[in-house]
Amino acid sequence: MSKSSAFDVVIVEDEPYLASLHRDFIEQNFKLRVVGIAATLEQARALLELHQPPLVLLDNFLPDGQGVELIDSPLLKSFDCSVIFITAASDMQTCSQAMRSGAFDYIIKPVSFHRLRSSLERFMQLVETKRHVKVVDQTALDRLFNLPAINIPSASSTKGIEPNTLERVQAVFTHKPDISWSVEQVVQEVGISKTTGRRYLEYCVEMGFIVVEMQYGNIGHPRRLYRKKIGA
Amino acid sequence: MKRRLPFQVKLFLSLVGFSCLLLALLGAILFHVLDRQLHRDLGQRARVQATQIALMPGLAEKVAARDVSGIAHLIQPLRNQSDASYIVIGDVREQHLYHSESPERLHLPMIGGDNAEVLQGKTIISMRKGGIGVSLRSKAPILDANNQVIGIVSVGYLTSYIANINARLLWQAGLYGLLLLILLFIFSWMFTRNVKRQMFWLEPKEIALLVLQQKALLEAMYEGIFAVNAEKQLILINRAARELLDIRQPENELIGKPIEQIVQTPLTFFDPTSVVDNRSLHDQITVLNQREVIVNRVPIEVEPGAERGWVFSFRDKNDINTLSSQLSQVKRYADNLRIMRHEQLNWTATLAGLLQMQRYDDAMRYIQAQSEGAQAVLDFVSTRITSPCLCGLLLGKFVSAREKGIELAFDPACQLTRIPTGISETALMSVIGNLLDNAVDATLKAHNSAAPVELYISDRNQELLIEVADQGVGIEDALKPHIFEQGVSSKPSDVHEMAGSDHGIGLYLAAGYINQAGGSIEVTDNSPQGTIFSVFIPFPGSVSTGQHHE
Repeated sequence: MSKSSAFDVVIVEDEPYLASLHRDFIEQNFKLRVVGIAATLEQARALLELHQPPLVLLDNFLPDGQGVELIDSPLLKSFDCSVIFITAASDMQTCSQAMRSGAFDYIIKPVSFHRLRSSLERFMQLVETKRHVKVVDQTALDRLFNLPAINIPSASSTKGIEPNTLERVQAVFTHKPDISWSVEQVVQEVGISKTTGRRYLEYCVEMGFIVVEMQYGNIGHPRRLYRKKIGA
Repeated sequence: MKRRLPFQVKLFLSLVGFSCLLLALLGAILFHVLDRQLHRDLGQRARVQATQIALMPGLAEKVAARDVSGIAHLIQPLRNQSDASYIVIGDVREQHLYHSESPERLHLPMIGGDNAEVLQGKTIISMRKGGIGVSLRSKAPILDANNQVIGIVSVGYLTSYIANINARLLWQAGLYGLLLLILLFIFSWMFTRNVKRQMFWLEPKEIALLVLQQKALLEAMYEGIFAVNAEKQLILINRAARELLDIRQPENELIGKPIEQIVQTPLTFFDPTSVVDNRSLHDQITVLNQREVIVNRVPIEVEPGAERGWVFSFRDKNDINTLSSQLSQVKRYADNLRIMRHEQLNWTATLAGLLQMQRYDDAMRYIQAQSEGAQAVLDFVSTRITSPCLCGLLLGKFVSAREKGIELAFDPACQLTRIPTGISETALMSVIGNLLDNAVDATLKAHNSAAPVELYISDRNQELLIEVADQGVGIEDALKPHIFEQGVSSKPSDVHEMAGSDHGIGLYLAAGYINQAGGSIEVTDNSPQGTIFSVFIPFPGSVSTGQHHE
């Protein structure tokens, strides 16, 4: 990270003790400066207008309204501001609303500082990247804003794939390479559930081990069959 | 201040007053007639006596001889028998020859001046002031053998005597009148009381106010109300009823018509047997004018047990459904709140305990565990799905399923970073949302199933794959070929469920979107039970729809 002045942060949280804890955590660990703590929506609006900070920690339950209203407001859209939306576990429905409005991150209360740290790290990464990428093209921009998704390691598609089961699935195709299998037949052979079977088959397709075939002919929809790719 | 008399008193007073006036008039006429009759009768009596006296044998001779004592001797016994006030005999020179009351008037002239006709031989009846007062009298001539008038007989009744008789009559009549008046009082009082009782002891003004009030009340009611009499004729209908049943005619045209002409009711609606069985009906679902309504029926009873008709009130069934579903939502919400509060209390207590015992690491772990599950789902969804709207949708469905007690399990391999160009984001949301809703509903209906609804989304290959699996009630084989047709729904339309037209349209729409994007949807049975919906939507640019024939 380059030497530079700290970024402004506004904390919107009506529990003063919690707010000051957050402030201490932020200022001790990151190059961020908390310029204001708002306990109400009204105070939050005033502070945001005054400081136009690049980051706001936004709690949802406030005495005079819901924080989620702010995310969509023209005020936040008027300058480049990232929102870390914080709400209680019992209020995940609001998270779904916040997601549609496009907050930077969503954290469930009680806030794990570990989780908050990673969120703030990603934010720092975002602003640093922005600073260095002088010419911003559309793809770069997309990449920046899809930062959370990009953080998934490419190998993550192996999630839910066990080598043992995979081997057994592959064995079905290796033993009879000329036969096209339906999902039902494969899961029966291997002894796994249909939903799990689909995941392994799709993984094998991704790996290029098998291919999808469509079988037309019978009434209704075409049947989808899997067959070992020649040479795989 | 002007004091208003109560209606009963007013009616009573006017009844009595008018009756008294009538009685008085009747009395006056009667008295007048009686008085005249009395005068005529007395006149006749006087005349008969006068004529008879004039014809008394020996009188003419004594008058001619001017035998005053002889005349007196002759007349005196008669005088004693007669009720007349006086008997007078005079000569042709109008001088008294006999006066029964005042003998000192002998030889003095007769007073009254009504003798001219008598002296010509006529008998008269007249009313004159005589020597002893005003009297009704009759005068007859005394004739000699040659029919020459030689004297005058006058028999009279003093008016004081007549007045006396009248007074006696009047007094009697008055007594009867009083009796009548008392009867009249009693009758009037009973009559007014009876009227008042029939008016429920209300003043006419109060009744008018009540009528107006009732009218306003009926019109203000949101419920439809109509009433029929025992002949099943409409006697009342309010605006809401006319609007709900779509009756266009004005109210005054409707009143009095047979109800069957106005409202089409099922045959059992007025079934006498059902009427006898339960006279008041509550919340009965029926059809009026092709509209499903919930009806209450209350009999109108003038006296206990004697029905004079019924009042029906009814509401639109759809309104009730909306209300009850809202109510159940509120109830569920309240339940959630109660549970949440309970959990919160437990949570705080545990945390306080841990802190007091200075087990800080345990406290830390405990706190983190609270948000971990939710945070994990949140992070999973937001990192695997790049479309914010789809993220929101999935999280929303996750939460709403959890509120219904059903877990929405995201397959660990879920990933959606691109959307096929053939389908819009909103259409894709509609497809996924619909499949998830159906799966949750199917699981809910399989009462013993606690199995999660599984969702697998993958964009890794040439097709976008969406797979939604539930272990719910499944789909009947007979229904399977038709589930993508409009209006086909496996959701039962029983009374407790919203009678909605949105059922049977979700899958139809979803299939439409998928077909437009060149994709396909497959339905297979899950094991041990339930259904798997698999949607494949090709990404353009890939060689073909995933077909790799080598």
